[in-house]
Amino acid sequence: MAYPYVSDREVRILSKHFGDPAARTLEGALANGRYEALKKALEMDRGAVIEEVKTSGLRGRGGAGFPTGVKWSFMPKDSGKPHYLCCNADESEPGTFKDREIIRWDPHQLIEGCLIASYAIGAEHCYIYCRGEFFEASSILAKAVEDAYQAGYVGKDILGSGVNVDITVHIGAGAYICGEETGLMNSLEGRRGQPRVKPPFPAAAGLFGMPTTVNNVETLAAVPHIVEHGGEWYRQWGTEKSPGTKLFCVSGHVNRPGNYELPLGFPLKDLIHDVCGGIRDGNALKAVIPGGSSVPILSAEESEECALCYEGVIAAGSMLGCASVIVMDETTDMVKQVRRMAYFYQHESCGQCTPCREGSAWVTKILRRIEDGRGKEEDLETLVEVTTQMTGTTICVLSDSVAAPVQSSIEKFRDEYLALIRRGERVGAA
Amino acid sequence: MSDTPFKNPGFAGNTGEFDLTEDQVRGRDFVPSRPLEGGHPSGTASYPYMLPEKHPDAPLFEGAYQERFEKLLTRYPDRRAALLPTLALAQEVRGHVSPETMDEVGKLLELPDAYVRGVATFYTMYNKAPVGRYLVQVCTNISCNLCGADEVLAAFLRATDTEMGETSADGNFTIVEAECLAACGFPTCVQINSRYYENVTPRDVPGLLERLREKGE
Ligand SMILES: Cc1cc2nc3c(=O)[nH]c(=O)nc-3n(C[C@H](O)[C@H](O)[C@H](O)COP(=O)(O)O)c2cc1C
Ligand code: SF4
Ligand code: FES
Repeated sequence: MAYPYVSDREVRILSKHFGDPAARTLEGALANGRYEALKKALEMDRGAVIEEVKTSGLRGRGGAGFPTGVKWSFMPKDSGKPHYLCCNADESEPGTFKDREIIRWDPHQLIEGCLIASYAIGAEHCYIYCRGEFFEASSILAKAVEDAYQAGYVGKDILGSGVNVDITVHIGAGAYICGEETGLMNSLEGRRGQPRVKPPFPAAAGLFGMPTTVNNVETLAAVPHIVEHGGEWYRQWGTEKSPGTKLFCVSGHVNRPGNYELPLGFPLKDLIHDVCGGIRDGNALKAVIPGGSSVPILSAEESEECALCYEGVIAAGSMLGCASVIVMDETTDMVKQVRRMAYFYQHESCGQCTPCREGSAWVTKILRRIEDGRGKEEDLETLVEVTTQMTGTTICVLSDSVAAPVQSSIEKFRDEYLALIRRGERVGAA
Repeated sequence: MSDTPFKNPGFAGNTGEFDLTEDQVRGRDFVPSRPLEGGHPSGTASYPYMLPEKHPDAPLFEGAYQERFEKLLTRYPDRRAALLPTLALAQEVRGHVSPETMDEVGKLLELPDAYVRGVATFYTMYNKAPVGRYLVQVCTNISCNLCGADEVLAAFLRATDTEMGETSADGNFTIVEAECLAACGFPTCVQINSRYYENVTPRDVPGLLERLREKGE
């Protein structure tokens, strides 16, 4: 088999052609049925396209899980202004590696999604903001867009419909914060990628001050399938509140890490022990981060009953985020890993808000001190206090992302912190 | 025509069950390289593979690069929005973005010097100082870290006899730590110039460096 990471429990819709190099070419994409949904959409009323996506219940795959059809319906109808669509391909949340796979294996699926979404929201220009590190993926995407232009799927008067949509592949330059939607818009405008105070919301005044929608790569890639088969069809998978399939990026201490497309609501336990072949070296599970490094850590017990849908992970005490499942076995040095995550946020803080700029630096410093065996017991209270002040007080939620791993680890792995503080002992160290 | 001499590093998911060539996985059979003048304007901002030779005094811009710069400007409603791709173009020809380069880019786009410097220094991918022929960026973020990224980073530093951020005596390698590169399922991920090397272990490091010295990317 070409793509190594497959399981018979998968439902492969977005990932169906992963591992097939022919799917990148326009001929291959057409043979796979790409651009059929576009034709269908162009014959529909814009409002009807939005309704279909609303019916499907598709929720944003970039982390927040906001219903996509509802987001699109916030765009003004007759503003007389240019509208924009931004496709968020900044993929930099630690643990997440799905958008790059979509882009490099099936770029036309994404392009078709961008076209349909642009049509639905009345945008004549779509920018695909790829993180700067994606040289290979963005080259593949740029070539695919070029092919689609030449064949008349993109540009002026698409397929003779009178609809115009341009697509531009835009490249970032290395800054996690440009994944935040208003940071992304600032970056696209040639500014520092600092998030904006909301309101105004992007649908009112976004890119270049115009009505804008920002959607994640995976969200947009799901759109053609929904338009082609109907919103109800999409609901055959997943739960009432989390319909459809989702790419789960599994990394860390499992035997078969990788991307697996599964119906939402899939048991976390089965993902780890069945789909991913269990924990490496037959070790015991220690903890799981179910949604990328910005969400609370689940203990092994909490992960036991967790269902991987938006509401299921909240019930278990964390968040689904972008479904980036980071698995940690018993050898994991929790303090070190939490410090590494805090360091990341300190490094990536854009510096606008005091709690985030100062707090992330202090938290990292204190954690480093504990890690080095120079911590004090009061440090744990200080960490909780500082991170509490960092929650809900800033322009964007990067600041809150520091609190999630720090607070959850102190709550669930307090003994490990204390052991280090009291005896300078650490788990997993050689 | 994969000539990856290792079981693992080279491309995502090469666990031995993978029957594709490296070029097929990377898409290099589909896009061997991007044209210097940028191809269709829609993709002008995307890089061709980084030029092997950099000229710190190269003009901004001439020939194919001038063409590419002009195409870029057609994709945005104002000149400011072309700033990031233009800085990237400048880095591509010069190898790094010095303060003088920032000022020159500012002139091209009619933006104040201080503004351009403020933007350019916000982003990590613009090298503010010259780097080696190969910029080796080792991801040490959580998923890679759980699987031993710190040892991989140490192996690179040892094999090149450098400190972090320093360029090796032969001018070939600069090793730095990177944040998550979005290849977390294939740890450790190392970006070398424009290319990702996945599943890298400390054992692979000497061979990987040898391959770069001998054959380029
Ligand atoms: C700090 C931060 C980083 C983010 N990074 C990304 C990212 O890399 N990719 C992404 O799609 N969304 C990211 N988001 C979420 C976006 O702000 C936005 O919600 C999303 O792109 C909307 O698309 P969706 O509705 O399709 O999910 C980030 C948010 C924050 C606060
Ligand atoms: S919370 Fe942090 S990253 Fe977000 S806007 Fe404020 S300083 Fe910037
Ligand atoms: S953590 Fe290393 S690539 Fe994501």
